[in-house]
Amino acid sequence: MEIIFKVARRDRRSTRLRLAQGRLPTSLGMAVRCERLFFAVVAILACAICAHAAETIPPKPDRYFHDYAGVVSQGAAQRFNEQLAQFERETSDQIVVAIWRTMPSQSSIEDFTQRTFQTWEVGQKGRNNGVVFFVFVDDHRMRIQPGYGLEGTLPDITCNEIIRDAVAPRFRAKDFEGGLAAGIDLIFKAIRGEYKGSGKTVRESGSSQSSTAGLLVFFFVLIIFLLAVRASRRFGGYRYTGGGGPFISGNWGSGGGWSSGGSGFSGFSGGGGSSGGGGASGSW
Amino acid sequence: MNKGLIGCLGIGAIILFLVLVGGCAVAGSYNRLVGLQQKVDQSWAQVQNVYQRRADLIPNLVNTVQGAANFEKSTLTEVTNARASVGRVQIDPNHAPEDAAKLQEFQQAQGQLSNALSRLLVVSERYPELRATQNFQSLQAQLEGTENRISVERGNFNSSVQDYNTAVRTFPTNLFAGMFGFRQRPFFEAQAGAEKPPTVNFNFGSPAAPPAATAAPTP
Repeated sequence: MEIIFKVARRDRRSTRLRLAQGRLPTSLGMAVRCERLFFAVVAILACAICAHAAETIPPKPDRYFHDYAGVVSQGAAQRFNEQLAQFERETSDQIVVAIWRTMPSQSSIEDFTQRTFQTWEVGQKGRNNGVVFFVFVDDHRMRIQPGYGLEGTLPDITCNEIIRDAVAPRFRAKDFEGGLAAGIDLIFKAIRGEYKGSGKTVRESGSSQSSTAGLLVFFFVLIIFLLAVRASRRFGGYRYTGGGGPFISGNWGSGGGWSSGGSGFSGFSGGGGSSGGGGASGSW
Repeated sequence: MNKGLIGCLGIGAIILFLVLVGGCAVAGSYNRLVGLQQKVDQSWAQVQNVYQRRADLIPNLVNTVQGAANFEKSTLTEVTNARASVGRVQIDPNHAPEDAAKLQEFQQAQGQLSNALSRLLVVSERYPELRATQNFQSLQAQLEGTENRISVERGNFNSSVQDYNTAVRTFPTNLFAGMFGFRQRPFFEAQAGAEKPPTVNFNFGSPAAPPAATAAPTP
């Protein structure tokens, strides 16, 4: 591939040289430009293919309960999601449940869940109080993984017991809803009381934060603009007249106040927590 | 005369400006190196932490296993000895080692302990009544969690060392990194034999295969 690129580059250089010397018709100049575009596209495609060949970590989830395998009814999924969102409001602990058919990775379950946890940034920054409950239905494997900040209240033994005694027997009987409900409930019981919540999820407080930031930026720009107008007047140069109106009306209210979870579910955003690989895996 | 003076002043100002800019750049890189080095030490402390956690589990594990009727004595002594030899490796828990040989020694001792522990778990398959006890099950869960933490923290350590080493080696930081005593740090290498997946024994009915069969010699 590299050799082809090199050859192409050499050809192109010689063409450009001849072009500069005026020995070639201008249509060839067009061809050179097209060729360059073509190579740019090829390079971008090559990059995309390389990136795709590498293992993909599932993207950040937008809700707390994700049933990619379809083992839980719509209503139950909604209920679990609200339960988990409410728990974050009360305790600031972020718990995410993710269910797949099979593990989307060739690696070990611990390695996959660790990297996924780090990518999703479950838990608040500084507190690291996230938990992810992974289930791989067809593999008959699951794992409960807490962040650093919950290793004390949700130690490996507790994770192991939750999986072994409460979840696995129900999963064995194909009662996924019951198993998940029991597992979530026991995780709640174990970690409740460790941290106090602010009454809002990261997603809910994040949107208001971004709108205040937008407002601040707006005022900053406005002040600079006014100063600039004043300065230009003082130095008697160009008189800036009537330029302010459309500028202000164009920018007013663009502070980014997008609403969260408008479609009836509480949305999830990772708070920046991280995990050290604690927790336990189990099978059924 | 006046013109010459102004010229001199101008040149002086330019030199002063360049020195200031250069100084700022050096200070910035220096601070960055300090930050990266601190991160290396921090992740090293975390590595020590999880290894210590494993070492702390061992007395409890040995006691539990000893309670089982006629448990193989040789496996137990191996674990105890490996733990003792880990304790003999003198290493600063708060500063990442600068000497590759030192890290190698540490890694070797911990690797021996890992091997002894996994052998113990394999042997314990032959004692169903031991495996059924609450104590053993919880110890096994803790041990598994700790092993996973070890691999996570080792990975974190390696990536922070990599960041630091890259900073030390790249231009222009490399021009003065050595002057201030910033040297490249060694990192963990993959364990010998780690590149091939472990042998899985599906013979659950019969006693587990002897450990010698699972640890085939590398060519």
